[in-house]
Amino acid sequence: MSYSVNISVEAPIENQIQEITYDGTEIYQPPLTLSESLTKYAQKIDFSKTSDIDFKKEPGEAIEDNKSDSDSKDAFQSSLWPWDSARNKLRNAFQEVCVLADVLAIAKDKRYMVLDPVQQEPIETKPMVQIYARKKALAGAASVLLTGAERLKTSQNEAARNRTVPDFHIELLRLRQNWRLKKVSNTIIGDLSYRTAGSKYTQTGTFEVTKAEDDDKTNSPPSSPIPGGATTAKTNSALRVSIPSELQGVAYIEVLCQKDQEDLCSVNVNLLGSGPPASNPDMHWQQKLEAAQNVLFCKELFNQLAKEAVQLQAPIPHMVVGNQIMATVFPGIQLIIGLCHSTVGDKKQQNNNSSKTDHDHVLEHSLHQLLREVHHKNTHHPFPHPATGPLGPSKKRMLAGPMAADRYELLEMTKSETLLEQIIKQAQHFFMRLRTEYVLDTIAKEVKDPLISSHWNTLNSPTQSCVKINISTHGYDALCRTPLVIHVGEKSLKCICRDGKVMHMSYEPQELRDLIFCHINQHQILAVQALAKTMGWQFLANSNHLGTGAVEPLGNASSCLLASPTGDRIIAVRCEPQTGIQVCVAHSPRSDFFPSRLVTERKWEHLGGQFRDVRLEKMEGRNFLHKMELLMASLTSSS
Amino acid sequence: MGVTVLQQFPTENRTGPSTIELLSKRISALGALQQGQFLVDCETFTSCAALGHQRTVHVLHNSEQPATVFSILETGQKTIPLATDGLFDLLMMKMSGFYSSKKQTKAESKGPRYEIGDFCVKLGTVTVSQNFRGVLVEVEYRPCVVPAMCWELMREFLQGFLGSSVPATPPPYLQNRMQELYTPIDTIHQYLEQFTIFRKAPGLRP
Repeated sequence: MSYSVNISVEAPIENQIQEITYDGTEIYQPPLTLSESLTKYAQKIDFSKTSDIDFKKEPGEAIEDNKSDSDSKDAFQSSLWPWDSARNKLRNAFQEVCVLADVLAIAKDKRYMVLDPVQQEPIETKPMVQIYARKKALAGAASVLLTGAERLKTSQNEAARNRTVPDFHIELLRLRQNWRLKKVSNTIIGDLSYRTAGSKYTQTGTFEVTKAEDDDKTNSPPSSPIPGGATTAKTNSALRVSIPSELQGVAYIEVLCQKDQEDLCSVNVNLLGSGPPASNPDMHWQQKLEAAQNVLFCKELFNQLAKEAVQLQAPIPHMVVGNQIMATVFPGIQLIIGLCHSTVGDKKQQNNNSSKTDHDHVLEHSLHQLLREVHHKNTHHPFPHPATGPLGPSKKRMLAGPMAADRYELLEMTKSETLLEQIIKQAQHFFMRLRTEYVLDTIAKEVKDPLISSHWNTLNSPTQSCVKINISTHGYDALCRTPLVIHVGEKSLKCICRDGKVMHMSYEPQELRDLIFCHINQHQILAVQALAKTMGWQFLANSNHLGTGAVEPLGNASSCLLASPTGDRIIAVRCEPQTGIQVCVAHSPRSDFFPSRLVTERKWEHLGGQFRDVRLEKMEGRNFLHKMELLMASLTSSS
Repeated sequence: MGVTVLQQFPTENRTGPSTIELLSKRISALGALQQGQFLVDCETFTSCAALGHQRTVHVLHNSEQPATVFSILETGQKTIPLATDGLFDLLMMKMSGFYSSKKQTKAESKGPRYEIGDFCVKLGTVTVSQNFRGVLVEVEYRPCVVPAMCWELMREFLQGFLGSSVPATPPPYLQNRMQELYTPIDTIHQYLEQFTIFRKAPGLRP
């Protein structure tokens, strides 16, 4: 009973590390005292298994013990307190062992107590009962799952119904994702101006965000079970944005090209395209803000254009009247840029729009693009920025110093094109292109003999495009072709001819027409010469600018002389832009000879005879070259 | 931007303004038109003793390249030309502790600027620290950038209104660079050469 158990307690050789500082020094815990370490180890002993039974058996004693412990708690020092539970447990264990020893001693005598094995009752198993039990259990589980699912469904429905009733804060969050907002005392102020994107327009684009009135919310009951209720509540929003009156409504910029009080084309610049009218008070805030921003953009664009129109000194001054800017593109053709801003008359506008459906998306895009470009330039400065220099000058200007640019170059750099100038240039180019197209098409229609085909380059800039013209004769394409290239600029045309000559022409379409006609004539003469070469005929003379004959109203007549292989026939071709082509044939010697007083001998007849006209229109052949081919062939074979 | 030849015109007992007037008359008689004024100035900075070996920086401005500040650094062994933008002046002011300017050597050449066909003629009165020193004539032939190709032409043109004072050989600075492309810094080199000569020469009566 009184076994003494030896417990050896040793402190670890190294103390535990409490902390490692950043410089690597280790701070150790102070070593435990002997009693401290003993309590620590004693606490690790698990007495719970035995004490459980013990406590059940003798709860009274345990309580008593606890009581005595608590009584003596004050008397003990705090460091000894943990020992108390160990002592209790050891005592309980000792009691149990004593009782067990007594029982065993009594059972050993077999007089008072016999230990018999207890018969385990076999569990009777009935398969049907088991099945029923399982069935019941499964049904229970299923019902639990079903009710859970039901509950989830209802909660989801509830959430969906609640979503249609907009939450102010959620909406505000969405608003904030797309628009700039700030809080000023108790109000939320937003900014829809393009200032952060580089605009320098002075008009502010502030709007106020408020909570929608409560009556709106109560109109759509959140617990309404009818799904139709959700659709009616859809237009409602917990947010209300109030936009300054000058930004309300719809604005667009209208570009009209007028020729002697007659509309040639009109362009409606409306950033929103065919958006819904803005006067609708129930409009969603996103659309409302976008419309307001569009109004601001159009106003800035128009303001900028109007400012430039007043400042620019054009030969024919630009006019700014009310909401219209009038600029002269070409004599007789005006460009009218108007700002249309309406808050109520939506129906009237739509009528206007439908009547002017013929609008050019290119000009529409350009105006839009030009201001955006200005904005972009204001915020994006070319790299690299000098650390000490001013921001703003172009890259070219920044290089001007180190590259030692002279005064002319610097002067050139200061010149910049205004928006109005650029749009006028684009409009001018548009007209130049239109006119060139028209001239080329009409000539191609009028002139059938040499074929005129034009190829427009698909790649062009807003102010420059290029067309390649080929003059050729049907069936003789390989023989002779006259290519021309015309660069269409803003106010002038540049034509690069077959021989490399460069002709500059003004905006008058007649000049291009004349040029093309001159080239048609040249083509005919050159083609005849090329044909003569292939036919074996000799090419005697050629003049592109013939001095003889009637004076032509435009250009000069050109001509050439061809001799048959044997030299007895001569063909003369004269080509005039106005009168057309004349062909004459001369025979030498003449087949018959009658000596006269002046011409006594037959040999003089070799000098060449008189030219006689060929009536080309009576001749067979598809076109001029074909006729000439037939003519030459017939004259060659007859010799 | 073309080839520029700079040369002195002897004053021969005339005052500065009267020399300029004489030349103006001659060049106007040839049909030149006056196109404003011009100014080339030169300021010289020397490094302080603390920087060790003494170096000299000449800072020049030419009104023909108004956005540029030219500087030529002389280290003794070699000269380093530099073309920078206008901020270089401010930089030199910041460095006044290391490079101090000699005020009495500020040289400049200014006067009328004429244009005659492809030529640009500048008649400059040279002053060194406000004292008149002489007359410099600058002639630029703008269509050409290689000195060797136009020197003869320019000499003939110079002789046309300067008379016999035109030397038969190009300026010494250009002689080694006759086949190279002419750049604005070459003009600056010529000016510096001339200013150095004027600074060393004894002062003339204005």
